[in-house]
Amino acid sequence: MASTSAQLTTHLQTKYSLPVSPTWLNAFLASTQQHRTVPLSALTQTAHFRLLASDFRDSLTTETSSSLLPADIFDPTVQERRLQGPIPVQVLDIDDIGTSLWSQVEAIERVERGEAVRGREIVRTVNVDDSEGVTRGASTTTTNAGAHESGGSNGPHRLILQDARGTRAVAIELKSVGGIALGSMAIGAKLVLRDVTVARGMVLLTPECVTLLGGKVEALDLAWREGRKQRLLDRLGEMERGQE
Amino acid sequence: MSPTKILCVAEKPAIAKAVAQHLSGGSVRTIPIRGNPYVKNYVFDFNFGAPWGNCAVTMTSVLGHLTKLEFEKQYRGWQSCLPESLFEAPVFELVEDDKKAIAKNIQEQARYCQALFIWTDCDREGEHIGTEIRKHAKKGNARIVVKRAKFSNTERAHILNAARALIELDDLQANAVAARTELDLRIGAAFTRLLSIQLQPLTEALANKVISYGSCQFPTLGFVVDRYLRVKNFKPEKFWGIKVMHTREDIKVNFLWKRVHLFDRAVVTVMLERCLMAKNAKVTKVNQKPTSKWRPLPLTTVDLQMMGSRYLRMDSQAIMKAAESLYTKGFTSYPRTETDQFDKGIDLKKLIEKQFPDNNWGQYARGLLDGGFRTPRAGRHNDHAHPPIHPICWVAPTALNADEKKVYEFITRRFLACCSEDAKGHSSEVEIEYGDELFHAKGLTVLERNYLDVYVYDKWESSQQLPNFRVGELFEPTEAKIFDGQTTAPNYLTEPELIGLMDANGIGTDATMAEHIAKIKDREYVVVHTRGSGRNAAKVFIPTWLGIALVEGYDNIVSGLPDSPSLSKPFLRKEMESRMRDICAGAMTRHDVVHESLDKYHEVFIHTVRRINMLKDAIRKYSSQIGAS
Repeated sequence: MASTSAQLTTHLQTKYSLPVSPTWLNAFLASTQQHRTVPLSALTQTAHFRLLASDFRDSLTTETSSSLLPADIFDPTVQERRLQGPIPVQVLDIDDIGTSLWSQVEAIERVERGEAVRGREIVRTVNVDDSEGVTRGASTTTTNAGAHESGGSNGPHRLILQDARGTRAVAIELKSVGGIALGSMAIGAKLVLRDVTVARGMVLLTPECVTLLGGKVEALDLAWREGRKQRLLDRLGEMERGQE
Repeated sequence: MSPTKILCVAEKPAIAKAVAQHLSGGSVRTIPIRGNPYVKNYVFDFNFGAPWGNCAVTMTSVLGHLTKLEFEKQYRGWQSCLPESLFEAPVFELVEDDKKAIAKNIQEQARYCQALFIWTDCDREGEHIGTEIRKHAKKGNARIVVKRAKFSNTERAHILNAARALIELDDLQANAVAARTELDLRIGAAFTRLLSIQLQPLTEALANKVISYGSCQFPTLGFVVDRYLRVKNFKPEKFWGIKVMHTREDIKVNFLWKRVHLFDRAVVTVMLERCLMAKNAKVTKVNQKPTSKWRPLPLTTVDLQMMGSRYLRMDSQAIMKAAESLYTKGFTSYPRTETDQFDKGIDLKKLIEKQFPDNNWGQYARGLLDGGFRTPRAGRHNDHAHPPIHPICWVAPTALNADEKKVYEFITRRFLACCSEDAKGHSSEVEIEYGDELFHAKGLTVLERNYLDVYVYDKWESSQQLPNFRVGELFEPTEAKIFDGQTTAPNYLTEPELIGLMDANGIGTDATMAEHIAKIKDREYVVVHTRGSGRNAAKVFIPTWLGIALVEGYDNIVSGLPDSPSLSKPFLRKEMESRMRDICAGAMTRHDVVHESLDKYHEVFIHTVRRINMLKDAIRKYSSQIGAS
């Protein structure tokens, strides 16, 4: 038993850079006790899958400081620093800072009405057999000049990341990273950061320093989605009040 | 043996006259008909070739549609029945009083003729009018042989060719029109009565006002309201970007940020700091290449309306009226076409040559035939009925009224532009990497204007020249700083934009779009305002309180009903138009299409009756706002 747990811990660390917490692992093993004959590789798979759906604050150990964000990561007086990692983090929020809030609201409302825009054509997305070419967030008239045409979200994206200890950091998609997009990336999705630059408290994401593990935390994701339009509207409201 | 007698019938008197002139070579007798001052019979001889040979011809015309679809008498009064029963009430075709003399003329003339040749316009409506003519001719002579002339302008040689290459009437196209006519009548009458009866009593402003519904009108209104609300609800937001400037060879080169701008100031600040930290920018790309601005595609109706309302300061209806009259007089080709490619058989050079006498573009036309001629680009559309709109012959500007002159000039310049070389230029582009960010600068030199000389509507001008940069070189930009700005609301809808939306969403045909736009103005659902002044002035559509209330009311009625799109949206109408195409292609019958579409609209009608209070609430809400302000 002890050896299984040690082997699993090592596997998860070497294969996915996830330092799993002994408490979580024991609970996991207890829940899979009846399948004692399951080979280790399958067990690792299951553990990995559960980890992606878990909250890292419960499932990862906070013992190794190299796999945690520095507590003062937000410090804006630090011009530049490098974190070697690997640091596993989960996504708490994602935002497209290349697109105005208002055009994001308009895009959400179009989806609510069951419409999408294809060039100048308005197409129905509900109860229609051919769902080809359904674009999200494609508004060419209110995204400002030069905004890219259709497809996912434009980016760059701003994320809020959280480590196993609960430390949060703002991250910016400095160079486009596959998989980071509104819609396709869920809240609670997991990333591993390696050799990443932090400038003025912002983690600068590039494809070289990010490994996307995927996954989501169902409850967080659902709440985030349901509240997204209202949050955008609230921020617009704040902005308006700020200008008065 | 006496010569074969032939009856020819055109869609309008002017076409009958023009065709009669061409076929007769000028020796023609004109006989007025009893009971209609516009329609004439033209009598002459013509040899149609085998199998007809030399014939005695009577050429006459109708005035558009001969018959009209109507409900039976007991359903015609507004209070005579529940509006809903109009979905099923019996309908019949009748000849309106002012067309009776024309119908009688055809019936009588047919009696003496062996064959009927139909010369209506070659489009769906024309095909349907052809079947109406056939029906009345057969009343006079059940054994009459029926043929149809295929033509797309009234130029002499073209007409003579058409007369000797007769084809059959296309009943499928006529059926599509018959289906649409029935649907428009039933759906329009049912909803119009319901709306008028229910909404008139609500406010003084609507007393005695017909609140009409049309399946094209409403989505057209929907586009106007949708844009209006987007303007109204718009919230401006600040954005920030990075501007890099470098002086070299006494030229200040402005580099534009690849990200354009972002909506997060802190992020932009960090990005700029990282540029400055890097100190040097590196040239990653230098592109020097010949470039060209393409000459326009051959002209379609939708393009004529869009471009025309943009450059000629005329609304689409006035443009179509002028184009129609130019066609009838034989100066331009048929103005209703979707085709943006010229047939290989057409003699373009001959058409260009006809423009030599013109004071403004005659010289240019000469230049085309002296070696400047290029085969026009071919677009992707071909309705297989008409060529792109083009001039048939030259006309002195003094012979035209102001609107016709503008439209003729546009059509001709566009045609000459199509037959010209693209404009040529030289472009240079420099891309630099500065910190983690990319910037670029562009320069353009126009070398040969070519088609731009005649097509004065397009603009393409040289910009600043770029100094020399080498790939891989490092330099420290003279200046890099943050700029800020604010998003601005979209503009109210202009006519070209509205036509573009209607076209993309299948509302109306190129032939009817202008009518639908005129209709929503007539009904006081929208008004036209002028935005800006002078050269930049543009006419924009703004909905009235009634227009907004109707759209909001309808949207509310269907909200939460998953299978019922609002009548203010284009979906139902678009589906109907595609069913029309199915009839034309023989894939569906008229009967099936009518039933299927009626079922769909009937369902929406039932919802509307059930939730009519939502519509009433919207009317009360907006009419009281008007009263208060």
